[in-house]
Amino acid sequence: MTKIIVNATHKGGEGKTTNSIMLAEYCALIKGLKTLIIDMDPQANFSGRYIQMEYDPAYRGGKIPAIHPDFDPTTDHEWDGRSSIANIFYGEEVIPYPTAISNLELLPAHSHKLQEAEAVTKNDVLEKVHLQLKRFLELSDVRSSYDVIIIDTPPSKGPLTIAAIKAATHIVIPAQMEQFSIEGIYGMLQLWKQESYYRTKDNQIELIGILPNQVRDIKLHKHFLEGLKMMKGVSDYVMPRVIKKRAIYTEILVEDANPKSIFDLPKTNIARQEYEAACQYIMERVFTYGKEKSFSN
Amino acid sequence: MAKKKVFQISNALTEGLEETVTAAHNYNGELRVEIIPLKKIELDPENPRDLILTFEDLYNGIDKGDKNYLRKLSEKNSLLSLSNSIKDQGIINPILVYKHGNKYRLVAGERRTLASILSDKSDIQAKILDSKPTELKISLLQWVENVERKDLSLWERLKNLEKIIYSYSTGQNIPLDEITATNLSHLLGCSLPHAMNYIAVLTADNKLKTLIQHNQLKNLEKAALLATIQSQSTKDTAIEACLAGATLKKLKGILNQEKQSKSILKQPIILKGRGRQATFVNLGTTKKVQVAKLIIDSILDNAKVTHLKPHFSELNWSDYKSINHAFKQLLETLEQIEA
Repeated sequence: MTKIIVNATHKGGEGKTTNSIMLAEYCALIKGLKTLIIDMDPQANFSGRYIQMEYDPAYRGGKIPAIHPDFDPTTDHEWDGRSSIANIFYGEEVIPYPTAISNLELLPAHSHKLQEAEAVTKNDVLEKVHLQLKRFLELSDVRSSYDVIIIDTPPSKGPLTIAAIKAATHIVIPAQMEQFSIEGIYGMLQLWKQESYYRTKDNQIELIGILPNQVRDIKLHKHFLEGLKMMKGVSDYVMPRVIKKRAIYTEILVEDANPKSIFDLPKTNIARQEYEAACQYIMERVFTYGKEKSFSN
Repeated sequence: MAKKKVFQISNALTEGLEETVTAAHNYNGELRVEIIPLKKIELDPENPRDLILTFEDLYNGIDKGDKNYLRKLSEKNSLLSLSNSIKDQGIINPILVYKHGNKYRLVAGERRTLASILSDKSDIQAKILDSKPTELKISLLQWVENVERKDLSLWERLKNLEKIIYSYSTGQNIPLDEITATNLSHLLGCSLPHAMNYIAVLTADNKLKTLIQHNQLKNLEKAALLATIQSQSTKDTAIEACLAGATLKKLKGILNQEKQSKSILKQPIILKGRGRQATFVNLGTTKKVQVAKLIIDSILDNAKVTHLKPHFSELNWSDYKSINHAFKQLLETLEQIEA
């Protein structure tokens, strides 16, 4: 079965997009899995890493995906040549974009259309938005094309994040060890709890855990991490992997960075080792779902 | 030296995180709501029903030859307003069913199901349990469903409660009359005082129960208060006041008044005191000269001291000091005589 992993937390700057990138590249480059990435964030940063995004002429500041490489204006009369994940909310066809990584395909964001879906408040429409991504990812065409699907979410608890959680099989909560971030974890756990109430026991959403991110050697971070690990029940969901704050994690996001991926660094590189260990932990959890949950630290 | 800094995640946040994880573990899958076809729902033959109207009666029309035709017709009519609201808004609370073969058996929501059929719907929102719940679980679930319903009378709630207590007592092998308010509060997840009120009303006398059954007594707190009054006359007064619309505060007032009006002599004469043992008798004080005069005159009537009478004939009865002095002398004389 295709695994669907969502990186979610409604607080911004926790490392959702970075973590989505790392996880996607780990799956495609290191594990050789057929991987689809989905960008549900109207900011479209995740999309911009893999394909050319253009400024939306109709909507100031918004971004739209570039023309699809397969688009042929002479034969495609019904299609304007662009495709984004937001199309599912408009009953339009969705065509994934290839990326520079051979196993990796992308369904990019469309700022304006996603923001419209996020702004829905009417109850009956809201329900459709909530379930639309799940329905789309349940299509056998989609399932048979990919081993893993990774979803990046906007920093909110709105309809787009809920849609992603409803579609997911697994959830990862990246978080800094700071006051507002821990409060953010609380908010996300609420969504997870709510979703787990509504699912059958054999189709549960599995919380892989909280990934402590951008950790520095300061007392605050150490104490908060220890505090989380002391909490009853919660301790099972604090990943035994930690991502430290390192310049390299933001440097590789620069447009013409060299190397392009953290996984292009030599195996001895400490940053690569660190993130690879975290990704490995997550993917082991994902593929042992339902089986005995024992992991080597 | 600077103070060593220690950072701690606040207690409230810690509690919140822990509770959330625990709740997610304990209740996953419990609130699954799905839309199921009405045609696939059947009644549970083992569950007692309030209505005699059947699903077939609504699908095929009630047979005029049916001996219960009139009753069924009136039941159908009583569903009309619910059916209209379902037409407009759908049902607000999903019904509760469990899987039975390829059908679903109803646990709670008979009226909602019937009214949905009546409003020409083809499906309904339902919470689906994987298997038939136990008797106790069913009555508890019905309780949870009903607690939110405003239109349920106190009597109906009590009947439901009796079922819960009965299945709990048989399940746990505890005699019915040994079920405590603490048991009940755990079962229902309500506060102890609330559970105590229920227990009090459940064990009320028939007169009170009849009033509840006829919906003349609707308030749990009032009913519980009335049930706990011991004296029959006070109880009758209080019931009368209650039926006349007295507030809970007023009823409590009646009870208190009753307590205060009891004369002090009705209190037990023998007291079990605490503290150091007394070695003398204090005869008390009074501000009323007449009372003092009554006491002194009564003593002087005693043959043993009657010869002292002339000494008191000139006592100034308007001066407390001289009365005190005279009484002291009287006591001393009496002590000498008795020694």
